[in-house]
Amino acid sequence: MEWGKGICNFRIGSRWVSCLLAAGVAALIGVTPAIAQVQDVHLQIHGFATQSFVVSDNNNYLGMNTRSGSTEWTEAALNVNDQVSDKLRVGVQFHYTRLGVFGGDTPDIDWAMGDYTVNRWLGVRAGKVKIRWGLCNDTQDYDPGYMWSLLPEPIYGIDIRSTDLSQLGVELYGDVSISNKLGQLEYSAYYGYYYFASNDGTLESLKESGTNITGQPSGKTPGFDLRWKTPVSGLTLGGSLMMYNAQGTTTDGTFSEPLTFWSAYYADYSHKKLFASWQYSKLVAYTTTTVTGSDPSTSGIDERGWFAMGGYHLTDKLQAGAYYTHDLIASAHDNSDPANFFRDWAASGRYDFNEYFYGKVEGHFIDGNDVGFYGIDNPNGLKPKTNVLVAKIGFTF
Amino acid sequence: MRKQLFVIFLVATASFFAVRAQAQVIIIANPSFKGEVISKGVLRDVFTGESKFFKDGSRALPVLLSKGAAHDSFYPDCLHMSESSVIISWRRQVFSGKVSMPPSFDSEAAIVEYVAKTSGAIGFISKSAPHEGVKVLSID
Repeated sequence: MEWGKGICNFRIGSRWVSCLLAAGVAALIGVTPAIAQVQDVHLQIHGFATQSFVVSDNNNYLGMNTRSGSTEWTEAALNVNDQVSDKLRVGVQFHYTRLGVFGGDTPDIDWAMGDYTVNRWLGVRAGKVKIRWGLCNDTQDYDPGYMWSLLPEPIYGIDIRSTDLSQLGVELYGDVSISNKLGQLEYSAYYGYYYFASNDGTLESLKESGTNITGQPSGKTPGFDLRWKTPVSGLTLGGSLMMYNAQGTTTDGTFSEPLTFWSAYYADYSHKKLFASWQYSKLVAYTTTTVTGSDPSTSGIDERGWFAMGGYHLTDKLQAGAYYTHDLIASAHDNSDPANFFRDWAASGRYDFNEYFYGKVEGHFIDGNDVGFYGIDNPNGLKPKTNVLVAKIGFTF
Repeated sequence: MRKQLFVIFLVATASFFAVRAQAQVIIIANPSFKGEVISKGVLRDVFTGESKFFKDGSRALPVLLSKGAAHDSFYPDCLHMSESSVIISWRRQVFSGKVSMPPSFDSEAAIVEYVAKTSGAIGFISKSAPHEGVKVLSID
């Protein structure tokens, strides 16, 4: 599927990073409103960029040299979209992430698609389309959209998100009003091609467990999301299922994930200045590696995680909140080994200087290291607990 | 007795200013809009980009006023959200590929002109602004 791989691997030169930075300067001098939307022309251009400083004790975190303090976390995106007609919209978004040893020097295509709305009950998106899974999967790489600097790592890990952000295929979506007393249902169902990202923590984790992947494993991914906007104002409940398979090659044989199931159940509530969310997720995956000339070796994982978060808009510009997340590799049958669990208390604040610029500060108190920690930047082994401080500035238009 | 009268006075004063703030903003829609009322939930969903449709399934095209007294009142009084929260909601969906940002205008006259000529359009202006050719909606 070379065409698909081409779309997924499309790289633009580092010149684009310079363009994004130039857009940031333009925003600084107030030019942004003029280019963000041209009146009476449907073409829109939007973007964002962030720069973070991360420091930790005990262990280096997320592929960065955080024990010494790290600025190796930069993100940027450029969005171009056109509401061609009432029913048809087309667009493309480029995204750049540098996260320590992960990410690259050039942007990727985040999504590129056409979106046709037939009616309220049915719309179709085709191309490279963001996957709607759980509360945040399709929006997790838009940092200005959240108060949090880091979403709960076991479920929306920034070091492994690239693989699950989008699929090359088709999505059907719509909403159905049940009744005034029962609210409405929103659905999303998709089917497409799926590729492991070449530059995130997924392949590094496999490598550190002895599986050296060459190229990008790929396969197909069907899935769906169903959410209920309940009659209780501000309350949404929902569930999602992502399935995928993947095949690839290793330095000495083959790699296969026959079928992986990743389910999510969630609740989201907002009332005036208060917002709160909860999500539970379960990942069941089997991996078969075959060394040339040897019998296949299969291993399975049953990993369960959840988070509960809440926040409050203290003023129009200032938000504060906290979350707790807990993850466990149930299939390891050893809850005492820090390598099999991850618990994180996080406290966060965000200040919006204006419509375009914002700042975030966030602290994490982590126990366990089954996600987010790598041997590549912790060569002397891992300590069970880590405290992390994140400071970030960003702009968006 | 005096204490009771004082409390009643305070409540009445607070209510007066609350009603007065809400009365500064009116919701206007294209004459194609069916009915005279829009629910708070639908209003919020349409103006945060959460829904592209009204309750009857017809297409909703929100338009934003970018400055003025109605702009200052609309978000806290009608949506019970800050403007920054509303913009964040829109941008989150723009960057996920789901929507485009709605059009916005500086003047109430431009808002009225757009709403009057665009089927499905809905906007907000101050009560005192001329609004011929559009339908005024009450919020349920």
